[in-house]
Amino acid sequence: MMWQQFTPELYHFAAALLFTALSMTRRVDNRRDYWVALSLAGGGLIVCLAAVRAEGLLFLNTYKVDLFAQLFKVLLSMGLFLVVALCSELNGVARRWHSEFYLLLFTCTLAMMLLVSSVHLISIYVSLELSSYSLYVLVALRRDAAMGTQAALRYFLIGIFSSAIMLFGLALLYAATGLTYLSDLVQVLPGVIDQPLVLVAVVLTLGGFFFKLALFPFHFWAPDVYVGAPNQLAAFIATASKVAAVAVLLRVVAATGGQETLLVDSLAALAIISMTVGNLAALVQKDFKRLLAYSSIAQAGYVLIGILCMSPEGADAAIFYALALLLMKFTCFLAVVKIAADGGNPSLDALAGLHRRSPLLALALMMAVFALAGIPPTIGFTAKLLVFSAAMHKGYLVLVLIAMFNVVISLYYYLLIVKAAYLTEPAVETPAPVLSLSARALTTALIIAIVVVGFYPNPLIVMARQASSSLF
Amino acid sequence: MNVPLTHLLTLAGGLFFIGIWCAVTRRNLIMVMLGIEIMLNAAALAFVGASLRWQQMEGQAVALFVLAIAAAEVSVGLALIICIYRRYRTLDPAKVQ
Repeated sequence: MMWQQFTPELYHFAAALLFTALSMTRRVDNRRDYWVALSLAGGGLIVCLAAVRAEGLLFLNTYKVDLFAQLFKVLLSMGLFLVVALCSELNGVARRWHSEFYLLLFTCTLAMMLLVSSVHLISIYVSLELSSYSLYVLVALRRDAAMGTQAALRYFLIGIFSSAIMLFGLALLYAATGLTYLSDLVQVLPGVIDQPLVLVAVVLTLGGFFFKLALFPFHFWAPDVYVGAPNQLAAFIATASKVAAVAVLLRVVAATGGQETLLVDSLAALAIISMTVGNLAALVQKDFKRLLAYSSIAQAGYVLIGILCMSPEGADAAIFYALALLLMKFTCFLAVVKIAADGGNPSLDALAGLHRRSPLLALALMMAVFALAGIPPTIGFTAKLLVFSAAMHKGYLVLVLIAMFNVVISLYYYLLIVKAAYLTEPAVETPAPVLSLSARALTTALIIAIVVVGFYPNPLIVMARQASSSLF
Repeated sequence: MNVPLTHLLTLAGGLFFIGIWCAVTRRNLIMVMLGIEIMLNAAALAFVGASLRWQQMEGQAVALFVLAIAAAEVSVGLALIICIYRRYRTLDPAKVQ
């Protein structure tokens, strides 16, 4: 049967429908919404895990279910589950909007699942837009409405601008080749990639994905949106949204099949500018969320190195990096959410004395920050090692050197976070963050995952290799 | 007689740059959105032209999808703009601080 391959998407669609109904009930019951969302997200993770080996082509071959897509669906549903798990104190969103918040979160996850499976220009464009529209509205749901609408406006304007550019790129691609399926394009594009029209078309098309990944030159929204969005949503944008962008970029860049071309050079230039801009801007930030936003611009640059290799090793590295980003960024945002229990934006000073107030949270934050900086033996070190060695295999020595240099710059502000949490004494005594038993279990699990995957990455690398084998 | 593809692409490219110009220079949120709509329509025109060039229906289908997506985009955007107007009594993006 065809629809069985479509179960994860159908499941999340049904969950979104359920929240549509809940949002129309008169009684506002936040605990009910939270538990329903948490159990649905948990069920979604199980459904995605069960469907991981499904394969097939759906909807006139515009939709490809393969290990690559299913693996990313597992990551996406894991991201959704983790983010919903943080929503027990959803203080950044007005009480009457909680069910809408979950409705849009599920819709956005659904759209991103569609995105990672799309292999046709229309389905890629439609699912990319659906996920973006959900996020625009979600950002505007911030209880502090001034902050929310400003961030949503900026996100919306940059988002529709980049998607219009992407659509024009798709149109040029179609005009130049007459093809709309990625599987057809991959056979034709490598031969014509050096034609000006095709190159312009591909670069414009990638613009839409760069927006999703917050990569230069479409990164301007990230700091404002991270600061303006509710903390839990910022966690979702930093994790799940990035994972989906990595997946679709891998698919599209692999379809160009270009080697040693102008395209690789321009992607390398974008990667270098992204990480340099992100790292340098992060050095001077005082707001914790703004710092994390600049750090994710820089991390996007590192991921792009894996993607632009256009080799199986590069794709493995990018997939592994996406998983690592999911865990590392989520752990950082877990700390943000728990420290700012009132739903506000914590500054770096708010971290002062965290190691006494909540040793577990401080330890989790330190591990996540070390992983982001790429210090062994964490998952972040393994991810960076994979990306850089894939680039070295292709002989991009200068690119790797510049990236290494950037890693050193980034150490400064990552260590500032650790210093704030461990060495600084708070000026005024602030109450300890409240961690329930389940939150403690989650935090411990994240610490263990960050360290253990850093030590034994092999099973995951093997899985990434199987997944990426369908790309090349 | 068919119009050659290059003419259509030139027209679409011209429209696209008019759209960018409008979106980047205007100081009114409605006009900014209008500029972006022009960019979308330029892309739709290029799709239709290319569909004529390759004698396929796919480009036409994309144009229909673009119409639907543009409508969704306008509805989200106008809702946001109304929110902003209620709060700030202005449509100038520079004054929304």
